[in-house]
Amino acid sequence: MMSLLELRNVSKRYGDFAAIDGLDLTINKGELRCLLGPNGAGKSTCMDLIVGRQRVSEGTVSLMGTDIAALSEHQIARKGVGRKFQIPSVFKELTVRQNLEVAFNRNKDPFLNMLSFKHFKGQKRYDEITDLIGLKDRSNTVSGLLSHGETQWLEIGLVLMQDPVLLLMDEPTAGMTEQETYKTSQIFNTLKGSHTLVVVEHDMSFVREIADVITVMHMGKLLAEGTITEIENNPQVRNVYLGTEGIH
Amino acid sequence: MSANIYHNRKAQWLAYIGLFCLLALVPALFDSPFLLNQLARYAVFAMLAVSVSLVWGYGGILSLGQGIAFGLAAYGMGMTMQMQFQDPVSDPVPSFMLTNDLSTLPLLWEPFWSTPIGLALTIAVPTIFFIGFGAMMFQARVAGVFVAIMTLAMLAAWYAMAYDMQPFTSGFNGISPPMPFEFAGVSIDPYSPTAYLICVGFLAALTLSAKLLMQSKFGLIVQAIRDDPERVRFLGYNVAYYQVIVFAISGFIAACGGLCWVMVVQYVSPTSLELTLSVSAVIWAAVGGRLSLLGAILGAYLVNGLQSYMGDELQDVWMIVLGSIFIGVVLFLPRGLVGLIEDALGYFTGKSETETSGVAIERAV
Ligand SMILES: Nc1ncnc2c1ncn2[C@@H]1O[C@H](COP(=O)(O)OP(=O)(O)OP(=O)(O)O)[C@@H](O)[C@H]1O
Ligand SMILES: [Mg+2]
Repeated sequence: MMSLLELRNVSKRYGDFAAIDGLDLTINKGELRCLLGPNGAGKSTCMDLIVGRQRVSEGTVSLMGTDIAALSEHQIARKGVGRKFQIPSVFKELTVRQNLEVAFNRNKDPFLNMLSFKHFKGQKRYDEITDLIGLKDRSNTVSGLLSHGETQWLEIGLVLMQDPVLLLMDEPTAGMTEQETYKTSQIFNTLKGSHTLVVVEHDMSFVREIADVITVMHMGKLLAEGTITEIENNPQVRNVYLGTEGIH
Repeated sequence: MSANIYHNRKAQWLAYIGLFCLLALVPALFDSPFLLNQLARYAVFAMLAVSVSLVWGYGGILSLGQGIAFGLAAYGMGMTMQMQFQDPVSDPVPSFMLTNDLSTLPLLWEPFWSTPIGLALTIAVPTIFFIGFGAMMFQARVAGVFVAIMTLAMLAAWYAMAYDMQPFTSGFNGISPPMPFEFAGVSIDPYSPTAYLICVGFLAALTLSAKLLMQSKFGLIVQAIRDDPERVRFLGYNVAYYQVIVFAISGFIAACGGLCWVMVVQYVSPTSLELTLSVSAVIWAAVGGRLSLLGAILGAYLVNGLQSYMGDELQDVWMIVLGSIFIGVVLFLPRGLVGLIEDALGYFTGKSETETSGVAIERAV
């Protein structure tokens, strides 16, 4: 299988403190990888390094064989990396439709965009995605008025509209009700296979629902990697989680 | 359920065009040079308010330095008009320079012998300055209140410069070109309908272009950047590039205002670079509604009209009155006066949150 993303010996230091410490990670095309770890393990930082929001102190990040560690955020995004943030971020004053239009637009040049008044070309994709995230009948709702769960889905929709080769989802179910979490797991199961995803989650029932391979991080290092049963029976993982809230 | 007509694009264009037609009719209805001159000044202020609405309301960039572009252009226009009066042979140096011990015309002033070059510089210099200043700020990802502080500091620097370079700018006294602006052989009397219509023409052309621009994909992306720059960046857009462009366009609009200003007042001094003007422009836009170019225009006309007709005893405390209006608007009318219109129209013509017709909803007007 071809590897899509490779982190080799990546470190990120803030002063003396290493948020990421010699991390190796390989994501293959088409897989759904769950990234687990207690608070402060470095999961979000790891994603920040991939998308260029933070710079690596050491090591290489390569996407489809090319080193992307030195590129700026928008260049990495154009290479096909989509990111959903831990704190949901959408365009609050714009409607759901306008949000998705901004994400769909392939033309990034400001001057060409000044000449573009056309009604949106991505209708088909728009219909597919609003169906998937369940916001079809909220097209003209100003997104600041959406519920927390809907905002999370809209942001997932934004990332999907980009049509990225790699999707990084930071805690997509944070703050969701059980039902909403279930619906989100359905969304992810639909994406599985046709997309490559890395998902950070704390909610174990959600992880059980969607995961193939799980990577557990602890203090910036890779602690364990394996299937859900392997991870749940791993004594080191148990130890780490018992120290905090316990895996459940 | 029908849609709020306030969000209907066609209705919006009609409202804009209606307003400008109305303004253009003023000289036909009133034969008062004083009134025309006053309304021409309001039209100039409206340009400044439109520049604020564009950069702040749409772009989310709170610039307190719109007066930089306005003031630089005002000086450019003042210099152009002054040089129209000078004679290359008999009287090549403006009299204020002679009294400041300058016996030859400074190099800085030389290009202004030519009216077309003078006008081109009047607009180009502030616009290019805004491109450079904007690139510096937005590449470094300066945002929010820090933009306000930096633009303010820059404004103060230009003010000090205009004030201190007495031999070049006549300092505190300012430059009073002895003759009205002359273009293509025609003298434009500041109190004439021509001067008034030029100002309204500029206002209309700039506002309608800005409106069109904000309805393009570019405008949508600019508004997305206002809401969440980080999100836009991770969708693959070069955010700083977009911000520099809106900032420069707003500078261009303010510069056109500065040009028209000196045409209708025949005078330029450091007051156009004063903090008061730039902050007032922000308040006009906020009062009318910064999310609407039309709102910003209304705000400029209303607040300035109020100031002119408020009575002398209140003039001394005008800044306090203005400040109170601003606080009131921020607290009770965050969308400004047009927010009231939006709500009223929504009440009569349909719900404002969603709409069901095929027309895309336009939050910002
Ligand atoms: N800019 C920064 N400066 C200093 N330390 C930082 C910075 N950003 C993150 N850290 C530290 O790096 C560590 C990893 O943080 P990170 O946000 O990646 O954890 P996480 O695994 O995503 O945790 P959570 O589950 O709480 O989201 C934390 O200890 C955090 O305090
Ligand atoms: Mg995190």
